[in-house]
Formats: sequence, structure tokens, C-alpha cells
Amino acid sequence: MEVTQNSDNNDRKFALPVDSEHKATVFRLFSVATPHMRAFHLSWVSFFACFVSTFAAPPLLPIIRDNLNLTATDIGNAGIAAVSGAVFARVAMGTACDLFGPRLASSSLILLTAPAVFLSAIANSPAAFLMVRFFTGFSLATFVSTQFWMSSMFSPGVVGTANGLSGGWGNLGGGATQLIMPLVYSLIHTQIGSTKFTAWRIAFFIPAIFQTLSAFAIFFLGQDMPDGNYVRLENSGEKHKDSFSQVFYHAITNYRGWILALTYGYCFGVELTIDNIIAQYFYDRFNVNLHTAGIIAASFGLANLFSRPGGGILSDVVAKRFGMRGRLWTLWVVQMLGGLLCLLLGKVGSLSASIAVMLVFSVFVQAACGLTFGVVPFVSRRSLGVISGMTGGGGNVGAVLTQVIFFRGSRYSTEEGMMLMGVMMMCCTLPILFIYFPQWGGLFCGPKKGSTEQDYYLSEWSKAEKEQGFHKMSLKFADNSRTERGKKGSSAPIPSNYETSPTFV
Amino acid sequence: MEAPVGFLVVSLLLSCFATTCYGVTFSSLQRTLEVTASPKEGQVLKAGDANITVTWGLNRTIQAGTDSAYKTVKVKLCYAPISQKDRSWRKTVDEMKKDKTCLVKIVAKPYTASNNSFTWTVERDIPTGTYFVRAYAFNAHDEEVAFGQTTNDKKETNLFKIQAITGRHASLDIASVCFSAFSIVALAGFFYMEKSKGKASQQK
Repeated sequence: MEVTQNSDNNDRKFALPVDSEHKATVFRLFSVATPHMRAFHLSWVSFFACFVSTFAAPPLLPIIRDNLNLTATDIGNAGIAAVSGAVFARVAMGTACDLFGPRLASSSLILLTAPAVFLSAIANSPAAFLMVRFFTGFSLATFVSTQFWMSSMFSPGVVGTANGLSGGWGNLGGGATQLIMPLVYSLIHTQIGSTKFTAWRIAFFIPAIFQTLSAFAIFFLGQDMPDGNYVRLENSGEKHKDSFSQVFYHAITNYRGWILALTYGYCFGVELTIDNIIAQYFYDRFNVNLHTAGIIAASFGLANLFSRPGGGILSDVVAKRFGMRGRLWTLWVVQMLGGLLCLLLGKVGSLSASIAVMLVFSVFVQAACGLTFGVVPFVSRRSLGVISGMTGGGGNVGAVLTQVIFFRGSRYSTEEGMMLMGVMMMCCTLPILFIYFPQWGGLFCGPKKGSTEQDYYLSEWSKAEKEQGFHKMSLKFADNSRTERGKKGSSAPIPSNYETSPTFV
Repeated sequence: MEAPVGFLVVSLLLSCFATTCYGVTFSSLQRTLEVTASPKEGQVLKAGDANITVTWGLNRTIQAGTDSAYKTVKVKLCYAPISQKDRSWRKTVDEMKKDKTCLVKIVAKPYTASNNSFTWTVERDIPTGTYFVRAYAFNAHDEEVAFGQTTNDKKETNLFKIQAITGRHASLDIASVCFSAFSIVALAGFFYMEKSKGKASQQK
């Protein structure tokens, strides 16, 4: 029998207090200490850069559509393409994180998609425009590596906060780009004196270079896990190099992953849809000018500064008292309210009421995204990456579906589409009722008597794998996740069938 | 006495609102101007390069005195229906304030009944499309009162094309390709460095 020790063999000192997996138990926003806080800052900045690149075209469309002779259909298709590439990229990224580590996985993806942004500058036709938007959209898969990295660096008690802040501040890029790109464009057009059709092309180099630099930063400054990079840990035997088929199998057979993929499709998917249609909506329905419509659109995305992190923080706060059941309840309530507000947004008829409802709606829908990733880290330990990828990919599927059903062609007016989207949001939030963790409970049922975190997380490993000791990390995680029992449960006696010793409670 | 005065004030206000709310509509304009432009039917002009010479004046068959209100003339480049298709930002709307058919101003000049001519170089930011030329006559309140155009009422005849510049330059193309190649090479470099780090820690 192995004796697990709290301190590492190398006796490493961390800047932040850590648990037995060396994950930080507190979150210090203004620190850049390795490895935890540095990983946080690297991940949100690189994700922000990818969002800026992916949504760099929309604010410059009035010029691009004249240069490339685009029709409304071309523009709509390119918008859908921009978010559809990430569907599979996110699942693939999840797998890559599980197998190769978030540092290599994310820096590779960022460097692979940077050419698409550079080549946007030489696009010459609607088809080329669609292609560059499609391939640039793949970079949104860095969301998954962001969440995976945070879940690897931060303990259950603060993982919601870390996930929410990194995801939210990355999403901020979608709002910031509406302000950055027109500014860069006008600087080039007026100061350097390029014609309109050249200035927008040069402008695209800015997000492209930013993206490339962030990949370099991740590779040279980042670290996969608190104890080191995958390569080193696998060679020293501290970490087992897992098999793709097993990781994938345990992810797709976990029904909770599928439910969260669906519900995330109707909070994040809705957020992406709104990003694409809201400027047009205000411009057409209330006759504000394009510039004003752009600012309103930007403010929706900029709410991510506090609303998504707020959701993550709320998840952690609620979990302290009520554990996982609290996380699930809060997610359900917030997302339901988000759906209601979406319905309301389609109904209000005046400009000021519309802006007010939109802002409240943005807070709720983005908080729901943050709350979702307060639950995701606990669904699986072995296949954390693929589950994160499935959920993230589900978000994009929701965006594609919603745009295709409600916001394409002239079947529904934009306000009708919003009302229907709100109804669909509420319907697709109901499956959260069916999420059940035997060790913690679900929305309506309490935990199963005698069921432990160990039972749940070790069920992902076969007997043969356990005999070889591959499950060590899941064991530590199971111990650390006992906080998800909430205040009542953590004082319950530890069942006597624990395999290894000791647990320093 | 108060009631009729009140009525008058309200109806005056309402009529003011009516004109400002509804504004001038295209259907209310008379086609009294004769406009000709140098491009022939179907001719393709290069943006930044080609010239368009526009001549306009009052149609000689029109009764004298019709043009007493005309103060200025604005000549504009307008999209033909085929260039407006599936492009709602170029939509033709009857209310002049919201109409987006003619977005490019060629020239604005004070009104004279005849001998008006202007040569315009097609600007470099004109998009590719099919066009015609239209001139609006404005009154002293800067409202449209009449128009004339080089095509027929259905906007089907005598249309010409403009080919836009691409905005691309050789230097941009090269920079684009070089940076892209650099990203891929850097990625290969990362993998190589990671592999050798791995070998080094294995040998430890």
C-alpha cells in the first residue's frame, strides 16, 4: 500500500497555499506567481486574443462587404462558419489536453490558426472570406484549454472562480474587438493614408500578431500542472500517459457531459448568436446609426468582464454551503431567468427598455456560462479535457442551430426569433433536473447512502489500470472534492472502505 | 375663440410633424431633369482610373417656371437593382431620408437650366457593381423636389459597371504569407524543443 504524502519529494514551495494535488486553494488576481496565477493570466490573455481575431470581421463589414462584393447571404454564412468550426475543434482540443497537456495543445492551436488571420488580409472573394472566418473560428477551441488548465491549477473550492474569470475575460475579446478594430482601421486609413480597401487588410495584422505572440508566451512561460509539464511528469512516472480510446470512452459514456453540452448550447450558444445579430437588430428596429449600434453590441460582450466571473464566483460561494446541489440549483435558476429575459427582449418595443433588458439579460446568460463551468470540472477526472471539450463544443452547436433556425432568411423577424430563442433556452435548461451525482445528489434527490467521491472517480479506471497505479491523480482529486458535499456533508464520517491511507482531514 | 385657435396650433404642429415624420418621398418627385453620362451601356470602368462626364439640365419639353424652386443640384452615383439584390444596406426606400440607392455624391452645384457638365474620376473606394447616374434638384430648404437619371423608370436600361480595386498590394501578400509560414515553422520548433526536453529529462 502506498502512503500518500502531503508534501512533494522535491519539497517545492508554492507562492499560494495548495492542496494535496498542489492545486492552489486561493485565487489572487493581481499576482503572476508561477505556476498557478501565471497560468491564469496566460490563458485568459491568449483566449482574449483568439476572440478578438474570430470577431475582427463584423465591425469592419461595411468596408469588407464593398471590397469583396458580399451579399447578405454571404455575410450570414460566414458568421455561421466562424462559430461552427469550433464545434469539433473544441472536442479535439479537449482530447489533446488530456493527452498532451494544455500548454502544448493551446499554443499549437493558436499557431495553427494564426495563418488564417494573416491570410484574411489577402482574401479576394466571398468564398475566401468564408474560408478565413471558418478557420479563424477554430481558435475558439482555446476556451477548452483555458478551462482545463484552470481546473488543473485550482482546487475545487476556487475552480469556479478561476474558470469564470478566465472564460469571461477571454469572451471580453468579442466585445473589445468591436471597439479595437474600427480604431485600428481608422488609424491606418487616416494616419498612414491607405485607401479603405487596403486599410482593413492591414488592420487584420494586429490581432494576428497579438495571437502569435500569446502562443509564444504560453509555450515559454507556461506549465501544464503545478508540478511541471506533462512530458517531464510522464517520464518521471509521476503521471501516467493515458490512452486516447479510454479517455474518449469514459467521456462519451458519461450522460452528465451530454446534458451540460446541451444546456451550454443554450447559454453560450445564445451569447454567440446575440454577438452576431444584436447590432443589426438595434440598427434596423430602432434606427440608431451603425456606430451606436456597434457600441450597444460591444457593451453586450463587455459585460463579460464581471458577469461570467460572477457566475463562477457565485458557484463557488454556493458550493461552500450547499455543495454540488447548490451549484446545480443556481445554474438552473440563473439560466431559466436568462431565457425569460430573452423572451422579454424580443417583446419590448422602445429603445431604452430594450437596452436595459439587454444588459440584464447579458448578465444572466453570461453568469449561466460561468456557473456551467463550476460544475464541469467535477463530471470526470480522467476525461476532464474531453468533457470540457464536449460542453464547449455544445455551446457552438447551440449557436449554429439557433442562427440557422431563427435568424436566417426572412422566416421570422429578429424580435420573433429572440422570443423563440428565449423559449428554447428555457426548454433546454430543463435537463439539468436530471443531473445526479451519487456522492452528492442532484436537484431533487440527495446523495446515495454510502456512495463516495472515490467510488465515482475511480470507476473510470479498470482493475488492471488501478493495479498499475495509473489512478493516483484521480484519488487525490476525489479526496479534494469532498468539499462538494457542502457544509452538512463534509462533517459526515468517512466510510471505512477507503483503499489507501491516509487522508489528512 | 380659444378652441379654433387651439385647433389651428395643433393642426399646424401636426402638419409640421407630418412633413418631418414622413419627409420627402421619391414618388413625389417630378422627373424634370435630363441627365446623360459618358459610360455606354454595359461598359466596365476601373475605379481610381476611369472618368465619368455627366451633363444635366432641365428637360426642354418641361413648362417654363417649373424650375423656379430649384436652387442646387446634386449628382449621385446610384446602384442598379442587380447590385441591390440581397444587400439591404443599399435598399431603395420611398422616404428619401432612409433611401440608400444613391450613396456616392459625384458633385453638387448651384442650379442652372442648361450647360451643366462635370468630369469625375471614379474614386478608389467605389465597390464593384452595376450603376446609373441620377441628379436631384433641391429647393431652398434643402429638400429634394425633382430628379433626372440616365436610366429608365424601371432602372433597366443604360447601366454601366464599375470594377473596384482589390486593395491588395504585393507587399501585403508577401507579408501575409511570410508571417503565416513563420507561425507554422515556430510550431514545428516548439514540438522539436518539447521532444528534446523530454529526452533530456528521460536521461536524467
